[in-house]
Amino acid sequence: MTATVGDTPIKLLETLHAEDHAWANIAPRYGVTDADPPWKVSLYATLECLSVGEALPSLERRHIEDRLGETLYRQIPGPEQQLLSLAHILLSRGLLSEQDLSERLRTVRQRLEAG
Amino acid sequence: MSHSHDHDHEHDHEHPAAPMVEEITDFEVLEIAVRELAIEKGLFTAEDHRKFTEWAEQIGPAAGSRLVAKAWTDPAYKARVLNDAVEACKEIGIDWTEPTGSGTPSDYMNLRVLEDTPTLHHVIVCTLCSCYPRPLLGHSPYWYRSPNYRRRLIRWPRQVLAEFGLLMSPEVEIRVEDSNQKCRFMVLPARPGGTEGWSEEQLAEIVTRDTMIGVALPRAGRTADDTRPVHKARRPVPHETEARP
Repeated sequence: MTATVGDTPIKLLETLHAEDHAWANIAPRYGVTDADPPWKVSLYATLECLSVGEALPSLERRHIEDRLGETLYRQIPGPEQQLLSLAHILLSRGLLSEQDLSERLRTVRQRLEAG
Repeated sequence: MSHSHDHDHEHDHEHPAAPMVEEITDFEVLEIAVRELAIEKGLFTAEDHRKFTEWAEQIGPAAGSRLVAKAWTDPAYKARVLNDAVEACKEIGIDWTEPTGSGTPSDYMNLRVLEDTPTLHHVIVCTLCSCYPRPLLGHSPYWYRSPNYRRRLIRWPRQVLAEFGLLMSPEVEIRVEDSNQKCRFMVLPARPGGTEGWSEEQLAEIVTRDTMIGVALPRAGRTADDTRPVHKARRPVPHETEARP
């Protein structure tokens, strides 16, 4: 599927605390000096998997990422910008639905906060 | 399944724990949510993902060292490296088009290897973000991604190299290559003296990561595992306990 990915903001992604929760801003508050968020390697692996399975070829993704990084997600730093762009692409292309993602965000948070 | 935990947990944790981000960020949640849904939609499997993660966490600069050592000992190979680096990488077992274990399609399959000469020294940077030849060098070091290095290297290369302890003679031209979004670079340093007759394996040991970025020069006898130099303070400050009579 190669539907065009527009620059129109996606409501669900706009509800995230993007700048406040970006690693570069949150890590110093806890005295953490790691340059990258712990989830970055996992994101890389997801990107590789999507490319190998041809659901989202890397070159195509990078072009869209570059564009979104100059427009919609301009204020967001590196890995977070990449993650938001990925979610944006998958939602725009109908590979994921906003409803499913919204529900999953809720249940994942619930799971992580449990216990 | 039974677990035998007869050791004392208390005494294992006397040192303070490393600081951690003690809250769950929206991005941590988003990464998991996107991945899980993609797996459920059948875009890839959890096993694929685990394999890629394992690969991504263990890659290092060994492949780049092998490439340089082979180019030093085989002029025909060096010519192939300079002509078509991605193709030449296959000869040392790195296929940029094949992920896991060798290359990754996330990196652009356009690699240029920059040959140093006695009068020309290359150093690489990515001023925009952190583009880096991962299949050959592994993950970039922290300083490579820092604004300090990215912003200053192109303006004051000699000064920045000096901060790494690399003082280049004024006669040597320094060329900074900025990895753009479509091209990766790697430095092929000049083979140092004192390595005549060495095997490829011996040579590879002195081709450290930093020599392929261009912030250090290879030297006979210096490997990445070298003992770090310790310089004693010239005017040491005594500890309180030592200062007491």
